[in-house]
Amino acid sequence: MKFKKLCALSVAGAMILSALAGCGSSPSSDTNSTASQDSSAASDQKTAIVTMMVSGTEQPNDFETQILPKLVKEKYPNLHLEVTKLPDEQYYTALKTRLASGECPDMILVQPKYAGSNSVLGLAKAGYLAPLDDLSVLEKVGKAGTDPFTYEGKVYGVPEGVAILGTYYNKDIFKKCGITAEPKNWTEFLDVCKKLKAAGVQPIVMGDKDSYVMQFGLYQIAANQIYPKNKQFDDQLTTGKTKFTDKDTWDKVLSMYKTLYDNGYIEKNSLGLSAQQAIQKFVDGEAAMTFDGSFNATALNAKGAKDFERGYFPMPGNDVDQPIYGAVAMGAGPAIYANSKHIAECKQILEYWLDGESDLWKAFADSGRVVVAYGYGSDQTNPLFKPFVDLYAQNRSFYWCNQGWPAGTENEMEAQFGSMIGGQGTKVADITKAMQAKFDELTAG
Amino acid sequence: MEMQKLRRRRLKGSPIFPKKMYAFVIPAFILFLTFWIFPVFQLFYYSFTNFNGINYHFDFIGFKNYFTLFHQGTLINSIKNTLIYTVLIVVGSNVLGLAVAMALNMKLKGKTFFRTCTFLPALFSAIVVGFIWSYVYMPDKGMIASLLELIGMDGSRFNVLGDFTWALYAIAAVEIWKSFGTTMIIYLAGLQTVDESLLEAGKIDGCTEWQLIRKIKLPLISSTITINVVLSVIAGLKAFDYAFIMTNGGPGKATNTLMYTIYKIAFNEQMMGKASAFSVVSFIVIILITISMLIFMNKREVEL
Repeated sequence: MKFKKLCALSVAGAMILSALAGCGSSPSSDTNSTASQDSSAASDQKTAIVTMMVSGTEQPNDFETQILPKLVKEKYPNLHLEVTKLPDEQYYTALKTRLASGECPDMILVQPKYAGSNSVLGLAKAGYLAPLDDLSVLEKVGKAGTDPFTYEGKVYGVPEGVAILGTYYNKDIFKKCGITAEPKNWTEFLDVCKKLKAAGVQPIVMGDKDSYVMQFGLYQIAANQIYPKNKQFDDQLTTGKTKFTDKDTWDKVLSMYKTLYDNGYIEKNSLGLSAQQAIQKFVDGEAAMTFDGSFNATALNAKGAKDFERGYFPMPGNDVDQPIYGAVAMGAGPAIYANSKHIAECKQILEYWLDGESDLWKAFADSGRVVVAYGYGSDQTNPLFKPFVDLYAQNRSFYWCNQGWPAGTENEMEAQFGSMIGGQGTKVADITKAMQAKFDELTAG
Repeated sequence: MEMQKLRRRRLKGSPIFPKKMYAFVIPAFILFLTFWIFPVFQLFYYSFTNFNGINYHFDFIGFKNYFTLFHQGTLINSIKNTLIYTVLIVVGSNVLGLAVAMALNMKLKGKTFFRTCTFLPALFSAIVVGFIWSYVYMPDKGMIASLLELIGMDGSRFNVLGDFTWALYAIAAVEIWKSFGTTMIIYLAGLQTVDESLLEAGKIDGCTEWQLIRKIKLPLISSTITINVVLSVIAGLKAFDYAFIMTNGGPGKATNTLMYTIYKIAFNEQMMGKASAFSVVSFIVIILITISMLIFMNKREVEL
């Protein structure tokens, strides 16, 4: 009996202890032990433990969780970098809770402007980020790179690279239909679609059931129709100087994109197709083109029912007499938590990582996770992305519209656009009005 | 003498469950309060703010969130969609479940096999089911479209998930397909409690098969019916999975259910305040529906 009691007590005690440990452990206290073992033989110099949290799916030989800490340790033996990688949704939740509880990792991944719940502007406004203006790598990144990470004149994040929106096409079908050159303006683009359709080929396939794909086409048109005329369009939305309902801005973009649906150039059942099914159709050679991003390149280059050569061009949303612009956006990048105890160490890591020539940078560029825009690796990008990187280098590209809007505006646009192409009687003017209303609501909050 | 002893014992508390045992509830109770009750009350608090989930310097804005909800029509649309969905689920999965349960309650060869088959869909997770069915519904090349082609109809016109009228019915059908197995099992258990002698008596008195069902079986399993209906109502009002996996609330806003809209406002648009207000309203709607349902069903049970 006594023995039983003792057992029960010890089990209960163990449970309570483990529960408490689970609640109370901060990342540094856990890792202290392992770190001190690592450097047991080394000098008495204090090992600084820097924590970092990023979003994404961990891959074999992952850059952030494996290569990055290893190379940082090699360069700075007394810096111990701990990286946690979480799937997007979990990352957002973890970030919010840790910010709220004041236990945020030293470095976090932020997105440019207003994109996502880890948007740099949202976090900087709340005072969670440390300014990075004294980093020397910012010069290499350039103004185009730092602008989307600037809040009230200070830079709060560094983009790791760029991401592209473009038009993937089937070179074999193009050849078969007698199309020799990539279209260079909107008229030529419509012409190409017309030729394909006449030859009995579905010109474009889109998976609009996952309505976010509507952005892929629309933002490419907007990069040609809105920002070349007014770079400040999105910033001025906040001050009220511009509005979505302004004539010849979004009304034009939306009606241009709608033409593709009206003429049956985009598959008529697109609202019932998922993004994945659309990619499958393209890969199987059932449609000649699809609008998609550099982030889906692997899926779009996968082998399908038919073997064919792929091409990738910026959708020419420009008028005949205008130059073409690309939709090339800054990708996400690291930022430093304002209340971190290791701001100097974090900066040291960023200087080393993003300098464009170090071993760490080379490993990063070679990982092929992002399209790097400067330094080692930028000259040997995937040939598919070449036209876009060139446009970017010539300063003829613009960020993705939703990065300039509070999150949620684009969802309203997608829902309304879906209603329009689904024949619910929604007009272009209704969409711009709804977008403006949503924007006002979101910025007022 | 004995009575007195008993009374004294009752005053002291039961010997099997002494009063100090209540102390043991405290740990669980504390956990329940901190992780369940307290957050629920916080929801009411946040519904009066413009909290965005990140910035803790938020303002109190009174009933503004509630006013916007009613103004924008999102609330009405979501409630409408949810109610249609719920009615479909309740009717569909119960009628189907009951019919199959009755069929499988008969003396039938391979009964166990059929029972297993019927219950099989319930074993898959919602993600898997949603994924499979989005290929069944796929326009042009999906299963249904191919079958239509096979019998000489135009399969390329079949596009339910992309259709504003049909999308909601299409995802409800999937939920029914997945859930009627569970409903069936509960009905089957209920039907097996029906006393064989009552049925025999009915037969001797000259009841038809329909009269046996209507007058004997259904009244005797009325409590099972209540359970099943309440469970389906709850499942219907909580509808989120298939609207999220199969249609993303689309096309347009045609499959925006209450839960999906809350998710969208909270995690896409990051308006935690507004989402809280939405949750409060849904909470009230759901409570009202459940209470009226229970009152109605309890009355029914007595009548039957």
